[in-house]
Amino acid sequence: MDFERSDTQRALLDALGTLLNRHAGPQRCRELTERGAYDHELETELRAAGFLDVFGEAGAGPLEATLAVEQISAELGAITPVPHLLVLPALGLPAPEGPVVLADREGPGPVRYGSEARQILVVGADRCGVAELSPDDAEPVPSAYGYPLARVVARRPDDLAPGTSQTMMNWWRVGACAEALGMMQSAFDLTVQYAKDRTVFGRALGSFQALQHRLSEVSVLLEGVRWLTYEAAFRGATAESSAVAASHTMATLHRLTRETHQITGAVGLTREHDLHLWTLRLQAIRAELGGLRAHQRAVVTSRWEVTAA
Amino acid sequence: MEFALSEADTAFRSDLVGFLDRELADGWNRSEHGLGSAVYTDFSRDFVHTLAAKGWLTPHWPPEYGGGGQGAWQHFVLGEEMWKRGEPRGPQYMNVNWVGPSVIKYGTEEQKKELLPPITRGEVFWCQGFSEPEAGTDLAALRTRADRDGEDYVLNGQKIWTSYANEADYCFLLARTGSVSDGRNGISVFLLPLRTPGVEVRRIDGFVGEHSFNELFLTDVRVPGNCLLGEENKGWDIVRRTLAYERVGAPRYARAALVLDGLADWCRAAGLLTDPGVQEQFGNARALCEAARVLVYRVIDERAKAKEPSPMAYQARAAMVQAERAVGDLALDVMGSEALAEQSPGDAQFRNSLGAGIAAGSYEVQLNLISRLILKLPKE
Repeated sequence: MDFERSDTQRALLDALGTLLNRHAGPQRCRELTERGAYDHELETELRAAGFLDVFGEAGAGPLEATLAVEQISAELGAITPVPHLLVLPALGLPAPEGPVVLADREGPGPVRYGSEARQILVVGADRCGVAELSPDDAEPVPSAYGYPLARVVARRPDDLAPGTSQTMMNWWRVGACAEALGMMQSAFDLTVQYAKDRTVFGRALGSFQALQHRLSEVSVLLEGVRWLTYEAAFRGATAESSAVAASHTMATLHRLTRETHQITGAVGLTREHDLHLWTLRLQAIRAELGGLRAHQRAVVTSRWEVTAA
Repeated sequence: MEFALSEADTAFRSDLVGFLDRELADGWNRSEHGLGSAVYTDFSRDFVHTLAAKGWLTPHWPPEYGGGGQGAWQHFVLGEEMWKRGEPRGPQYMNVNWVGPSVIKYGTEEQKKELLPPITRGEVFWCQGFSEPEAGTDLAALRTRADRDGEDYVLNGQKIWTSYANEADYCFLLARTGSVSDGRNGISVFLLPLRTPGVEVRRIDGFVGEHSFNELFLTDVRVPGNCLLGEENKGWDIVRRTLAYERVGAPRYARAALVLDGLADWCRAAGLLTDPGVQEQFGNARALCEAARVLVYRVIDERAKAKEPSPMAYQARAAMVQAERAVGDLALDVMGSEALAEQSPGDAQFRNSLGAGIAAGSYEVQLNLISRLILKLPKE
């Protein structure tokens, strides 16, 4: 057991940090959002630097890929890191250029970067399906939630091997956790700093015990998310570990969203303040895979071997 | 990062599980009783002898004091497997986890010789005399006095909420040797034999499981100077270290998870486990138990690396409280009035969970410490 990053992990994340400094962050995110664009440049850089191959790499692996997804998300990288770094490699599929859409059995609702996506992966009863997409397959959906959304129609997906649906769901869950973790940590750090800097009634906002307790509780939840996510990745995204991590992550996301905005007050509701960049995107992750309640039910079906409700 | 035990630790867990499966083959699961109940305490008296014979009562102690010199992870695995089964060691976990280690670290050779062997053999019970009527969460406000009289100390005062005092042979007791204005700097630790004249134990009737609280009245209790542990007036440092052990020493999430499994069995039999709403509450509670587990593991990792205890233990402790409460709430929510029956799968858990955020430093104190030491928020 070792909760410290290894030298390899530190080196990998340092290199990724340097790359993201140039190709991600709040400012770039704002520019891309205005154009409703996917960051092809960032994807190209990540591909060239080998970050899309980390999952299957000797000396690295799924945990390192998960750490990378977290960091890309913390820095608001405008790509689809979960399919590219986790789900496709877990299924043994190459990562195509451009966004990839993940869809659950109910079919995709509005999905991130749907208009630009060239590939869709669909969870089936047992086999996962993969299909190419064309721009005609997408119908844009106006939305305030950070990502350009569209409804897409998957045309006759090719079925993959038996059991691939579960693999896809499990890694999607771990990926959603890693994305949410990175974004939540950024939103939380911003809020804690605000609580230190902002003066009210002649003293720092963060000196009020009522608020300190709420922030402390969020920090406890967030640390739980962190280590459950890493552990699930380390264990190869078993059904139970990934459902447990996703359940805790989405419950934390609910609480963190409320608390960060309550503490930041009205300025946190403006586009001038950065908090919304993470808040709005987090809600898109919250909605995936059936959301909190579906993750919680998945914990029960995997742990106590109960038929899905 | 690595989230698997070493081969040696895994082999130890496997040996231990096999041993416990055999020793507790009669379906030992006393989780329906409260910790501290007579059922627990009586069973533990014999069980710890068996454990001691295997060298598994104090495996983490240094060999020169009757231990096995095992590392932090084996020590922790032992505790986790015990709590997973409802903690058949009863009150002994205090002795082995922090009373003994404190004596090893701060005691004189004479104290070690006298006090440690009975612990390693499982022959004694200890209790913890910290809280007082006017000093609970605010422990440094304690007023019980220990005054020097020649070679002796004379103790006067009152302790309260002292679990196991009715059964214990010794008390790990805090008393003020300096003045009240010295605050934390005027406190000392005494290793008090409870059969000393002037010690009176009175039971307080509580409803938290079958757990009994006690009051401890000390009236002109004369003890020899060798009952002092460490230096006079330096007791707070010992306690700080002691509490660092206690905060995560009892992996309560493992017991909460055990109760949750029992509740799942009950719900399955009642045809409720396929209900989506019930499933969601189970998923939530299980996730909180698992989150507490990984946060405790993180603290054990620090301990295994011989680092100074960090404030991460406060997060782990708070997470355990959240887990225990979630399972307690679930018990009453899903079982309905069946949960009210004594020793139903959820009864003791609910009542225990009311005390989860109170013992070993209140939940709010953990949150205060997190905000100050981890988030570095300004003082009030």
